[in-house]
Amino acid sequence: MKKVKLYTLSTCPWCKKAKAYFTKNNIPFEHVDYDLVSEERQEEIMDEINECGGTGEFPFAIIGKKSVCGYDPDEYDRLLGKKK
Amino acid sequence: MTVQDRKQSLRFLFGPVVDALGYKFSPDEELVDFCLEQEARLEEKHGIPFCPCQAITKNRAHDMTIVCPCIPFHRKHYDAMKRCWCGLYVHKDVTDPDRLKQIPASALEQKKSPQRRKERKEEKSPQRRRERGEKKG
Repeated sequence: MKKVKLYTLSTCPWCKKAKAYFTKNNIPFEHVDYDLVSEERQEEIMDEINECGGTGEFPFAIIGKKSVCGYDPDEYDRLLGKKK
Repeated sequence: MTVQDRKQSLRFLFGPVVDALGYKFSPDEELVDFCLEQEARLEEKHGIPFCPCQAITKNRAHDMTIVCPCIPFHRKHYDAMKRCWCGLYVHKDVTDPDRLKQIPASALEQKKSPQRRKERKEEKSPQRRRERGEKKG
């Protein structure tokens, strides 16, 4: 199973949907609410997101070595090998 | 003013603004209610009703582009999606917002210009930011 990391905002409804997707499908994932961590940690997270091609839009999922910006269950399925 | 009151005020305030931009509140009332409540809370905390689905940074120029309604700053991006990023607003002709997907701006740029996407990525790289003496954002 690919490692799943999910960056979210506590204020974002699509981030809640993304968390619900991984929970509902029993896919282990680690997640961080960007707006609830320290400024230093926020800078680290934004660097990582920028490196993956993101620009600060949430939710931002890193699945294995690929990333998905925005709530996209079809793309999550594809990257997790559930859909071809 | 309570968050509930402010939520109503924001709805009253934003309606005519987005109407002039060719947008309307999403028909998904639950989503609209949630987003407006988050914006009222963000305004309480930061003094500004930021988009609830985009990162607030310490870069003021960036942060000003995510003040709701942020449609004018992301016109091409949102027009391509027929919705704004958080989904609070949709194009006036949209009746089923569930059909609309979030498409990252970078994906649209990639379709149009791989070179521009590369340049934008470089502009936002930590190294370039440090060179410009900027704080991250």
